[in-house]
Amino acid sequence: MLAKYVARRFFASIVVVLGVTLITLVLMDRTRGTYVPGIDLNPALRPEDIARLRADLGLDRPFYIWYITWIWGVLHGDFGRSMIDGSTVMSHILDRLPNTLELTGTAILIGVLISIPVGVIGALRHGSKTDHTMTVVSVAGFAVPQFWMGLILILIFSVTLEQHGLPWLPSSGAYSAVNGGDFIDRVEHLILPATVLSFFYTSTWSRFIRSSMLEVLSQDYIRTARAKGMSERRVVYLHGLRNALIPLVTLIGLELPGLVSGGLVVEVVFGWPGIGKLAFERALQYDYTTVMGVTFFATMLVIAGNLLADLLYGVLDPRIRFA
Amino acid sequence: MTQPLLEVQDLHTVFSTKEGWVKAVDGVSFELHPGETLGIVGESGCGKSVTALSIMRLQRPGLIKSGHVMFKGDDLTKATEDEMRDVRGKEIAMIFQDPMTSLNPVFRTGWQVAEPLRLHHGWNAKKSLTSAINMLGRVGIPSATERAEDYPHQFSGGMRQRVMIAMGLTTTPEVLIADEPTTALDVTIQAQILDLLRHVNQEFGTATILITHNLGVVAGMCKRIIVMYAGRIVEAGPTADVFAHPKHPYTWALLRSIPRLDAERHEPLKPIEGLPPNLVDLPGGCAFHPRCAFKIEKCSRDVPALQRVGDTQLSACWVTQAGTELKGA
Repeated sequence: MLAKYVARRFFASIVVVLGVTLITLVLMDRTRGTYVPGIDLNPALRPEDIARLRADLGLDRPFYIWYITWIWGVLHGDFGRSMIDGSTVMSHILDRLPNTLELTGTAILIGVLISIPVGVIGALRHGSKTDHTMTVVSVAGFAVPQFWMGLILILIFSVTLEQHGLPWLPSSGAYSAVNGGDFIDRVEHLILPATVLSFFYTSTWSRFIRSSMLEVLSQDYIRTARAKGMSERRVVYLHGLRNALIPLVTLIGLELPGLVSGGLVVEVVFGWPGIGKLAFERALQYDYTTVMGVTFFATMLVIAGNLLADLLYGVLDPRIRFA
Repeated sequence: MTQPLLEVQDLHTVFSTKEGWVKAVDGVSFELHPGETLGIVGESGCGKSVTALSIMRLQRPGLIKSGHVMFKGDDLTKATEDEMRDVRGKEIAMIFQDPMTSLNPVFRTGWQVAEPLRLHHGWNAKKSLTSAINMLGRVGIPSATERAEDYPHQFSGGMRQRVMIAMGLTTTPEVLIADEPTTALDVTIQAQILDLLRHVNQEFGTATILITHNLGVVAGMCKRIIVMYAGRIVEAGPTADVFAHPKHPYTWALLRSIPRLDAERHEPLKPIEGLPPNLVDLPGGCAFHPRCAFKIEKCSRDVPALQRVGDTQLSACWVTQAGTELKGA
């Protein structure tokens, strides 16, 4: 039953992958004009060189021919080479993916760890000063643009602290190029971008848990739980939270694509060598293969994230059956 | 007379609302004796459920303003939260109106039924589950061992109410409070659940408080009943006497309003005129007087106390306390 369900979801997702990659390609192809990726790296190119380059990259043929060629390659596990630097797209992705996972994974973890208690406290003390304060902070969390918050944090924790001779935090990169790269060094680099990113997650999720928890706590089975003589802690954190967290799973599942793209702004601001920054830079250079490769991975992550969320939903909520 | 098991003395429970304080329970007193089944009757919002929840100190956000709930020599209104937890689900169990929503949807029924045993007796998972399955069988769940693995949504309404009853009984409490246990169920299932409650009362000797708005239910179940109106007890006494000779106009009107199968065809229904009072702004004097067919001048001025009227009944009514018989079409 479950295997059948997963198989059906997998086949349905093929259509999604084809659609997303095709749209990405059409958008790039229609806006490229006569530009050929890589020509601005070498000002000495003659017109016949450019024509040869165009033919080499497959850009002299209609985009659908290019697309079919690309799909054929993907089916054989070959994502091609970057149109800019010639190294394989796969090596680019494998190079950047761990950094992105490090950043977004940390942010999601912090988000979950903070938003659950904050949301529960907000629900238990709804209407109190604590609740109002947390509401204001949360609204700020998704109202303040991430790039702005990133810059302000850099200004305070990197620039100002350094000016006053205090210990300061690095503002750029995932590790120090010189004498760096150990655990402490990576954590230092991680703090600022992870803070910005997790602030957003925490804000959204804590609001969500708060309202979900408020609804659950007014349910009859919570009254039953109290009538059974259990401690308030057990009522809230076992009987209540177990129900309130079910919808959160979907929300986090939808956030999984952020593993690749959601951190884009933060990656750019903090010079974080991740997938989002890679896609951003290469899109500006019309590096078809790299953008298509990243798009493919991002789409797969969206599909996997949704499927995972739906499957988890079934584990957490016994009323859900897969068919 | 034996020593009462549970004694509610002059209980006042209030709720704060935007319009002011609502006296949901306004000076309620009654006794529950070991092994007996006591009925509390009244329309929606008359305070019967809040009375029950106040006994368990689960009336939040309501506030018990004054009064005592004496249970086996202790005053539950003065007990600490820890002491209350030892009473809830162990010595006083409660089952609720809507069995569809009263069980936690994400835990297996067997686990939920066994939970009071783990909480109160500290039994391990296996021992408590065995006992829970045994109890599920005793309340009439077929193939209880397998059904204990199921989740609440896999049970019908009547079966869920049986599960709730089993959950209440695992710790063999001395008091079972059933708050409208059959209201949400089909009529045929209602009869089955009432049979079960009667059987439980006999087999386990559990004293039961049966809260309902259904006079037919109390007639078949309870030796003694209490009638509530607007947060107060208006009449109390042996069920047979109250039904035969009601000593409060509200009870009288309630009984008269029940359509009878043996009545003449086309006989119009006899409703109680008017509406239940607004609890924020109760009428002065007796709360029932605006709807009362027997009212005298005093009724709108002074609140009548609950006093003995006749040999066995108590009534809070100036008219019957003065010796007038309630009669009329």
